[in-house]
Amino acid sequence: MSVNSNHISSLPAWRRTLGVIVIGWCWLPVVYLALLSVARDWAFPKLLPSSLSLAAWRLAFGPGGNLGTSFMMSTAVALLVATLATGAGLVASRTFAYHRRRGWWVLAAHAPFVLSPVILGTCLLFLFIKLHLVGTFVGVVAGQFIFCYGYAIILLIGFWNPHLAALESLARTLGAGRWQVFRRVLLPLARPMLAVCFFQTFLISWLDFGLVAVIGAGKVPVLTLRVFEYLGSGNVNLAAVVALCLMIPPLAILLLNRRLATLAV
Amino acid sequence: MSAPGNNPGFVAVEGLAKRFGPERVLDGITFTVGSESVFAILGRSGGGKTTLLKILAGLVSADSGRFRLGETDLTFVPPERRKIVYLYQEPLLFPHLNVRENLVFGLRLRHLDESTIRARIEPLIERLGLAAQLEKMPAQLSGGQRQRVAFGRALAVQPPLLLLDEPFGSLDATTRADMQRLFKQVARQVGITAIFVTHDLKEALIVGDRFGHLDAGRLRTFSDRSAFLADSSSGGAAEIAFWRSLDCQLPASTDAQPKFN
Repeated sequence: MSVNSNHISSLPAWRRTLGVIVIGWCWLPVVYLALLSVARDWAFPKLLPSSLSLAAWRLAFGPGGNLGTSFMMSTAVALLVATLATGAGLVASRTFAYHRRRGWWVLAAHAPFVLSPVILGTCLLFLFIKLHLVGTFVGVVAGQFIFCYGYAIILLIGFWNPHLAALESLARTLGAGRWQVFRRVLLPLARPMLAVCFFQTFLISWLDFGLVAVIGAGKVPVLTLRVFEYLGSGNVNLAAVVALCLMIPPLAILLLNRRLATLAV
Repeated sequence: MSAPGNNPGFVAVEGLAKRFGPERVLDGITFTVGSESVFAILGRSGGGKTTLLKILAGLVSADSGRFRLGETDLTFVPPERRKIVYLYQEPLLFPHLNVRENLVFGLRLRHLDESTIRARIEPLIERLGLAAQLEKMPAQLSGGQRQRVAFGRALAVQPPLLLLDEPFGSLDATTRADMQRLFKQVARQVGITAIFVTHDLKEALIVGDRFGHLDAGRLRTFSDRSAFLADSSSGGAAEIAFWRSLDCQLPASTDAQPKFN
């Protein structure tokens, strides 16, 4: 800590000022949202609200607010999508990585990125209507999975290499079956990469609006839908509360990711 | 301990062939290895040595031919059930495990109890001089130490056949010589049956009890060391001629002067 403080104090003044501006710029929306969530009588051109109130928070988490339900729904969708995409991505990326036409498979895995989630959702809509998946939890998970699965493959394909293949073969000659190779060799080595993949796909799902709006048809009340719902009805204080709630998992994940990066080093 | 080659047909390979596309990598490989003996196969890079070992380990399938170990036909047996350990050219250690856990990796797979595991590896640790390295991670070891660990890990599971794919090829000359001596010493003490492939004539002569030469997918076997050395394909005659020519140029007082009489 003291080393960091000394380091910062030894920086030239202009760099310190620039640093403060950059950090301030990054955190300004958060401060603004926090202020907005408790603001009362904040009329133009006042820089700050006339008074503060926790009414929006009470309303959001109160009996009729449904924010808790939305938070749970978002968490459930994102956890399920991230788990499925990471697991399936690990298996598929291995198959693709060792395939003689690896390049083609990687190209195919990029397909979901050609479309934005909302366009992907529109493309899937007709099929999902036929399958009775529109407006359901399963439908939203399935739609987001398609997008996140491709992302997981692209992220994990770099993990597989000839050295790892040799380690797998070595473990097998030492007596390890396929499951033991996975559990004792691949899983421990892949853990940091899997964690990053899980967090990234979790974030994609957590922050998605377009696909969940189309496939969910307003019947799967995730947090991103709530933000737009409150904005649409002109309730900016409630929208700010929900937006702040949306930030909690990404922030926690950022901190965890940083810890993972440190461990990896 | 019994003399090398107790059971002369302990390992029996018959008509093994392999193609990769249009390229014929192995062509009718046939040989036998006696129990507790080391069969050294000399060959140039790209001559099919690694493919041969990988087929014997079950990591690559042969197009034709059979492979028997003792009374058991292993041709179609998966690698984990062959109990044959393959030692790579690079000293491959599991990077997430320390030296001790690398050594006992194969034993843990067999669900042995701790006392059996300890009894199995402690003599090996002493024999391979690894006592001071047990808690270290692979990245903290030198090339020679890593190869010792890999060798110890292979021996710990007491394989009926050990396959060595130029295991000392990546080591410096001194460490390599040390490892060759160590291998020979441990092979005699433990009674290892092994197939050792190398492109180095001297290494083949040091470690082998029987010899073969693999070139362009074809294997020639030799009944003894003199026959192997005398054959032009081994390069033995040329090597001896080279050292003899140096022998004439060296001063008479040099103690380390090689003599070829």
